[in-house]
Amino acid sequence: MGNHAAMTRRLSAFVLVLVVLVGALGYRLVDFQVVRADEIQEKSLERRSQTQILRALRGDILDANGEVLARTVFRYDVNAAPKNVGPVYRLEDGVRTEYSVEAIAMELAPLLGLTVEDLLAKLAGNSEYSSLARRVDSATYDQIKSLGVPWIYFDQLSDRLYPNGAVAGNLIGFVSSDGTPLAGLERQYNTCLAGVDGQETYERSAEGVRIPTSNITTQPTQDGGNLNLTIDSNLQFFAQQVLADTVDELNAQWASAIVVEVETGKILAAAEAPSVDPNNPAASDADNRGSKIIQFAFEPGSIMKAISTSMVLDTGTADEYDTVTAPDRLPLDYGEFIKDSFGHDDFELSLAGVLRYSSNTGIYGFGIQIDKETRYNYLQKYGFGSTTALNFEGESSGILHPVEDWTYSDNYTHLFGQGIAVTSLQMAYAYQAIANGGVRLDPMLVESCTSPDGELLYVPQQNATRVVSEATADLNLLLMEKVVEFGGVGKTAAVPGYRVAGKTGTAEIREGVGYGDRYAISFYGVAPVENPKFVVGVTIYKPEGVTNSAKATPPFKAIMSQALKHYRVPPSTTVSPDYIPSNRYGEPGA
Amino acid sequence: MRVMMLSAQDARKLRPSMLAGAILIIGIIVVYLVQLALNMILTQDAYYLRELKIERKALSTEVAIIQEEVDSLASPQNLADAANRLGMVANPSSVLLDIEKDRIFGTPEPVSAENAVVASANLVANSALGATTEFTASSIAATGFEVSVTTSQAGSSEVALVNGRIPASPTR
Repeated sequence: MGNHAAMTRRLSAFVLVLVVLVGALGYRLVDFQVVRADEIQEKSLERRSQTQILRALRGDILDANGEVLARTVFRYDVNAAPKNVGPVYRLEDGVRTEYSVEAIAMELAPLLGLTVEDLLAKLAGNSEYSSLARRVDSATYDQIKSLGVPWIYFDQLSDRLYPNGAVAGNLIGFVSSDGTPLAGLERQYNTCLAGVDGQETYERSAEGVRIPTSNITTQPTQDGGNLNLTIDSNLQFFAQQVLADTVDELNAQWASAIVVEVETGKILAAAEAPSVDPNNPAASDADNRGSKIIQFAFEPGSIMKAISTSMVLDTGTADEYDTVTAPDRLPLDYGEFIKDSFGHDDFELSLAGVLRYSSNTGIYGFGIQIDKETRYNYLQKYGFGSTTALNFEGESSGILHPVEDWTYSDNYTHLFGQGIAVTSLQMAYAYQAIANGGVRLDPMLVESCTSPDGELLYVPQQNATRVVSEATADLNLLLMEKVVEFGGVGKTAAVPGYRVAGKTGTAEIREGVGYGDRYAISFYGVAPVENPKFVVGVTIYKPEGVTNSAKATPPFKAIMSQALKHYRVPPSTTVSPDYIPSNRYGEPGA
Repeated sequence: MRVMMLSAQDARKLRPSMLAGAILIIGIIVVYLVQLALNMILTQDAYYLRELKIERKALSTEVAIIQEEVDSLASPQNLADAANRLGMVANPSSVLLDIEKDRIFGTPEPVSAENAVVASANLVANSALGATTEFTASSIAATGFEVSVTTSQAGSSEVALVNGRIPASPTR
């Protein structure tokens, strides 16, 4: 009996211990499985899961023909872990061969652009990180990777490549090494070009292999859109070639050329020399990294006379037959005077004659008859004194003082393009208005922004402004044609087979309180006159030893010829009307 | 707990069925085997997927290398230099044919390097220029091809004699 009681006590104690143990385990079970289940599961997932940023690609910049001017490429930083550096074993014909660190360094050094000594210095030590080369291209990455060196690893980075280099570089702009857009269209249209990075989480096994069906995309990647320009890269390259040659020949500070399609207002080329290679903007002076065509204002000089003659015609102040007496030097009040660029007897000049001889006194004779408020309004309608719809960063509005602030000399110097500052862009579109029947269109540099799958995301709006009547514009173009038909310098702008209208300009450049001894020479013209297709405006800034615009016509002629040829414009079948007086006696003909 | 006395026959009846037990155990084994097989397939696929991704990356790298090479070769800078090495210059005098109106515009004229308006060699910077066209006049000559440009005075040809009109094609 005693034994039975003792056994029962032991059994009871055992059962009690068992119950306590099971209870404790049960408590932990409920705690893990129910109370803290979510928290524990989350911790577990955290350990297994890996979050990865999915980099969005920046969109391309394309020219009018779809040629890529800027694209995103991958570059690679090459790194090593010196503490792991050691001999490399390779299987060669089934034989395991050992390569010493020095032997590997000799293979690697030329690929990394280092000397063997420098590379070995970088590989020495016991650290876990040593940067061997930054931003190597895909070909180099592939070559290094194929060496199969286990202690070399790579960081992939996206980078910007401009396959055509400095072609349209002044417009396209560039990005910093971390991909931040710094200038030009890259910066202005960043909203279109930049993508939105995505994020993905997945679980991985102890071996680092992704567990199937475990990935969750928390934010999808959205690649950037493509920016489609109106620029024709072939014409742009041609113009840049011509200008580079011109700047070199004339030792000029810079030169620019703009080609505008008359009917659409599209900029087909906006070339400059010197230009900037967006692949390496640091190689260019800071002054040459922007677009002078858009951002630089200068006193235009005589190219303004074609604008002034249109005002004279449009206001009915004079017609193509009226003449004024134009001396080579005209005294004015306050001891001021106007003089022509060459000495001559008194000419009897029509409006076409004024343009042909580029007479300052002649344009004064006609233009001063129009009140200055009216002229100011015309200048505004032509687009002077305000920025254009391009909204290009740093765009200059030029200088056109309010009419109430015009000085005594402003009143007449504006007629021949002094005392007023304009950009090449503004002047080209003033000529575009004359070529387009008196209607000025907003400049277009960007055709559209499209998503990677071709969906239209943005199309810039274009406004049209009636500046002068159609009859005035057409007649003014005929007057300008006389410059190329008979003008001393203008004749050199003629393009065989085509009727060309235009105007020369040799503008003085202000230096301090007066004018310096170098000029801004230019030629702005239109062709073909009977059905205008293109405006080409060439400006050469501060050429050495040049005192007239004769050096501006060869680049104009080359670029206009190329544009006409490139776009298959048939030669003119009509000729300049012979009834328009343009000679020094106010008569038609030579 | 009750303890009852049973006959041997009844006891055999109450004994669990061997068949049912066998089916249960086999069933469990089959389920585990299927699960194992599925796991193996999934794991295998995970490795296969990884291999494919590595392959895709290698192919993407190859595409990038070729693309950059093509970009460089197609750049106007390379083409201008290649044309210049072959002695080519731009000819500004072009001739246009108007098919609709059967008209010829312009007169073809040969151009020489001396009176060419534009320097044909590249003057526009491009630091991305990698691969370049390697042929030159001498390298082409080495291949046995004739390197020469013959200019014909088309102005005196039959085409210009027909009052500037394109001769009608016999095929239309």
